[in-house]
Parts: sequence; C-alpha cells; structure tokens
Amino acid sequence: MAGEEAGEIDFDVIVIGGGVAGAVCAYQLARAGKQVVLIERGEQPGSKNLSGGVFYCRVMEQVFPNFVDDAPIERRITRNVLSFLNPTSHFNIDYWDQRLAEPVNAVTVLRARLDAWLSEKCEEAGVMVMSGVRVDSLLFEGDQVVGVKAGEDELHAHVVVAADGVNSFIAQGAGIRAKEAPQSLAVGVKSVIGLPRTVIEDRFNLTGDNGVAYAVVGDCTQAVAGGGFLYTNKESVSVGVVLRLDDLEAKGLTSSEVHDHFLQHPAIAPLLRDGELREYGCHLTIENGPRMVSHDVTRPGLIIIGDAAGFTLNTGLTIRGMDLAAGSGIAAAKTIVRALELGSYGQQAMDDYRNQLDATFVGADMKTYARAPEFLEVPRMYKEYGLLLADIFHDIYNHDTTPRKHIAATAFGAFKRSKMKLFTTIGDVLKGVRAL
Amino acid sequence: MKTVIVYKWARNAEDAVVRNDGTVDWRNAKMTAGEDDFAALEAAKAIAEGDELIGLTIGDGDASWALARGVLQTISVTDASNLTDNASTAAIIVAAMRQIGGVDAVVIGDSEEYAGVPVALAGQLGWPAIAHVSSASAVDGRVQVVRKQGSSEQTISIAAPAVIAVSAASPEKKTPGMKEQLAARKRPVTKLTLAAIGAASDDKVSSKGTRLPETAAARIFDGDPAAAAEQLVAALRGEGVL
Repeated sequence: MAGEEAGEIDFDVIVIGGGVAGAVCAYQLARAGKQVVLIERGEQPGSKNLSGGVFYCRVMEQVFPNFVDDAPIERRITRNVLSFLNPTSHFNIDYWDQRLAEPVNAVTVLRARLDAWLSEKCEEAGVMVMSGVRVDSLLFEGDQVVGVKAGEDELHAHVVVAADGVNSFIAQGAGIRAKEAPQSLAVGVKSVIGLPRTVIEDRFNLTGDNGVAYAVVGDCTQAVAGGGFLYTNKESVSVGVVLRLDDLEAKGLTSSEVHDHFLQHPAIAPLLRDGELREYGCHLTIENGPRMVSHDVTRPGLIIIGDAAGFTLNTGLTIRGMDLAAGSGIAAAKTIVRALELGSYGQQAMDDYRNQLDATFVGADMKTYARAPEFLEVPRMYKEYGLLLADIFHDIYNHDTTPRKHIAATAFGAFKRSKMKLFTTIGDVLKGVRAL
Repeated sequence: MKTVIVYKWARNAEDAVVRNDGTVDWRNAKMTAGEDDFAALEAAKAIAEGDELIGLTIGDGDASWALARGVLQTISVTDASNLTDNASTAAIIVAAMRQIGGVDAVVIGDSEEYAGVPVALAGQLGWPAIAHVSSASAVDGRVQVVRKQGSSEQTISIAAPAVIAVSAASPEKKTPGMKEQLAARKRPVTKLTLAAIGAASDDKVSSKGTRLPETAAARIFDGDPAAAAEQLVAALRGEGVL
C-alpha cells in the first residue's frame, strides 16, 4: 500500500487533539511501544477545553491504576442533586451516598490542569507532544489517509486519529460528518466562581474532598431546551447552562443572558454569594451523541474518537463525555496496535474499532441511551413538570386551614389545574421509561 | 559573531490571578518563554549571521522553545531557581557564559519583570549594554542596533562584545511548525549545574507578601445618556469638582 514504505513515515500514529480522548489514545499507543505524536492546537493541551460535567472516571483505572490519587482532580462526587427549578420554587432530589466514594466513581476536574497532567504522562511514556500547531487537512493517497498537513509542513503516519473535538474539522474534511444541524448542537456557558474551601464545605454540606453535582432543569434555562449544572471543585464552584441552539434562537434569548439569569436565580445565588469570578467561557457541545455516533467513525487509515465522533450522552440525570472519550481512545488504541502488528491499515483493519467499542460500555451505552435525546426534546420538561411538582408539594405543605386530602387526590388536583392532558403526560412518562 | 541568546522559562505572569485579598494564584500559569524573548532571538540570529548561536536558560526549562526556533544548541543551568534578585540571576548567566567562552554578543529579552538583569549582566561582564532595542544586525564586526526613542528610531553601532536587551513590539507572528518542532528534538541540550559553573543560587531578596493597590471606588452612571450625564454632573458638584 502506498505511503507505508519505511522512510516515508514520521510516526506510527498521529493523534490530533490533546483532550481526554486524544491523550488517552496516545498514551496507550506509546505504552505499547509505538511512535506517536500528539498534535495540539492550543498553546498546551487543555488551553482550549471547557467541560461542564463531572468525570465518571472508573474507566481511567484501565490507563492509570491510581488515577484518582495521582491526577489533579478537584473533588469526589458523593452527592447528586436533580433539581426542577421554577421561578420561585424548586423540587430537588438529593442523593448522597458514601458508597459513591468507595471506590471513587465520579470526580470534578478543571480541564486546564487535568489535560496538562495527561500531556505530561504522555511525554513520560514517549509521546511527542506538539503544541501550537493547527492541523489544516489530512493527506490522502487514494482513499487511504496517510498523514496530516499544517501550513507548509506534512507529517506521515500509518494511522491518523482525529480527537479534535465537537467541531471536528478533520471528520468534516474527510467527508464523514456534515456540518451539524443546530438541533444536534448546544452551547454551554460556564463560570468558575472562587470560594474558600471551608465556605464550600459548609454551604454544600461536604466533608474532606467530597463534592456535589447538580443537574438542573426548568427556569435555569428560561424554558429553553437544555439544562443547568453546578458542581463543586476544591476552592471553586463551576456553574452554567447548556442550551440547545435551535431552541435558544427560537426563544430569542442569548446564551449569556440565560447564564446570568441562572446565576442570579434565588435558588442558586445564595450558593455563590461573595464568590470571585475566576473563569468565564463558552463552548459548543453535542446534544444528540447517539445520532452522530451512528455515522461511520473510520476511514482507511483514520479513526475518530471522543467528541469528534459524537461520544457524548445527556440522559437528563447524567451528562457524560470524558468517560466516553477515554473509552473510545482506549478502543482506538487497541485497534491501531493490532493494525500495526498486522501491517494493515485499510478500512477492514479500522473497522475493528467498532467491535472494540461494542465490547465495552461505550458502544453499549450509546445504544442504551439512543432515545434519550428524543425524550429531552419534550418541551414540558423545561417548564410544566417542575411547576406541577412544586404545586403538588405546595398543596401538601401549605396548611391553610382547609381540610386535607389524601396525597393521590392532592396530586390529581394539582395535575388538573396544570391544564396538561393526561394522555400527553402518560406518553411523556413512557417515553422517559423507554429512553432512560 | 558568536552569540548567546538568554531566554527565560518560567510561569507566565499573565496567567496568574490576583485574588481580592491581594494574593497571587499561580496554579493555572503555564510555563512559557518571556514575552520579549522571541524578538531577542530574532535579533540574536541576525547578529550571529550564521556563526555560532547558543541558547542559554536558567532552570530546567523546555529547551525546545529555542531549538524549534533555529537555535542549534542550548545550555541549561538546571538547578538554578527563578530568583527575585536580578543581580544574582545575572551572576549565574555570567558564570554560564564563562563556560561557553569567546562570546561576542549576549542578547536577552528586555522584560519589565526582570528589568535589572541586562544591566547587571553588562556590569558584571564589564561590557557595553543597549536596552529597548527593536532590531539588530552585525556590521563590519560591530553590533548595529535600532532602538525607539520617543517617536523616532535611533541606529547605534557598538563594539563587540556587548549586551543587547530587546523589546518586542508585537506578539510572535509565526510559531514553530511541525517540521521545526521535530528537528528541535534532535538538537543537543547541555545541562549544567551551579556547582559545575561555580555559581550560587543565592536570593538576597525575599517577598513579604502582596496586596492590591489602593484604588478609589468607581461609580458607574449608565442607562439613558441624558439622565446619566445629569447624575455625573450632580456627583461632580457633590464632590466639589465643579
């Protein structure tokens, strides 16, 4: 096959993008003794990243056995709050469980620190990390990807891995992905608010390195499809919103307005009081991961991993990206190691990636939650159901000297006042049961 | 001309966050070269004119910064720390330069953060020094530099050996590409220790803490321009300014 003769190859593998997916893939390949270059557009890995969720990090033990102790993590999430937020009320499901720390299941991270650490680990393993280089295009020989081009420079490799994030110009350039439709994409806006460690622990009822993560739905987005998030770091709180692009436009709001509204909400503002704004940023994110991943994710000599391939899952309860990124990076590395051993880099060799994915939680979960995006399109999720829950509990707790009713009658009364149709609601519940 | 380019490799002060209580949080600051260092390197290449060009840094910094930008060999004094005392920093550079030997010109970034280093260096070497330089070249065995003086440019000719401190007028336009970064990996890095060059990392200056400068409280008048202007005038009258 052309482009594979010794002497023409600069590296066995070129990985584009120094996020979690790219770094994990590069690290695994280097550990397997392969020559790898990790090309990062930013000044250093992590400088372009923004995450709005917790890292379900058990998968990292496959790569770094002491990940939780060694990596620069912020807090270990042992408390999860699901909050239906209305303008003057909220209904929260607050789940704390010390078992979530034994072993540690989810952590909060600041990407500038985590990605820099991953990059160091890569260098220690022998990866060449090339920062400040933006790959412009792939190099082809026929339909075989044989390298990358950046400015005037070309580098050749047996396999190229695209881990270049949600916009993946590489995947678009290879004709795998078209430009995503606005309903498949969302914009995330996040603030990091600095607070003293003791204030965070007192305010959020935490001890030691334990942390809390909130998933918020309703007035946090001013009824725009999407949600709010809040999670604790060591000495800061990350808080923000994720908004589906098409609905944001339809409602005539801007993402920064919605973000500010959320932070000033009476249920949220006291949690952030006297905090110091440390970071503010926004990033595009994927709303319908399962649909994106259903595209092909390989070409001869090319594998797409992480956000670039669409490995993001929003179930409403959990928002996942980094664990799937790591899982897809591990799967890609296995495929590539096998391909390098066989000396075969065509489509058939790359197709093994799908099998590797399907053998793990990554492929399985993308299938399990295939209907989650559809469920989250139910507009009543973002307004009516939160109000209904608050109305039911208002009727329970508001003792206004009227005679009490049984709880079922109370709930039915509140439901009748909500003017929602019974069949619509039953339909939504069934949709939720099937999707989640 | 045998030229040494001295570059800094330290946490980027621009990434440091000054907290409300005046303390400085360096945790997110990335390691980087000084902001004037790439301009100094351009000047050093012009002075070297194809002759020997050696990169020199204090601390165990990333030599690939210089090596990917056309410097063919670098020297690091690995166990020297980032000192507050500029004269001590200059003393370490001088000791390393003695190891190199036969240097005609030393070029360094003219940074505000370490403003004393170039002059201390010149003083300890007993060489002439020119600061605020924007570009340089070698002409007839002498160093010729251009520096800004107010709105005009002055051209100066200096006999070698000399210390040239260069200020960058704009950010670096082109960072090294893939091939240059690849080539940098193959170039030699010499690691020296303070003991080997007979120097000491002796900081005679120590910081006793930081706080924010005192500033007067600002008041913002916004909304309808006419109403805001009226409020401003009323406030100025109230303060006795008008």
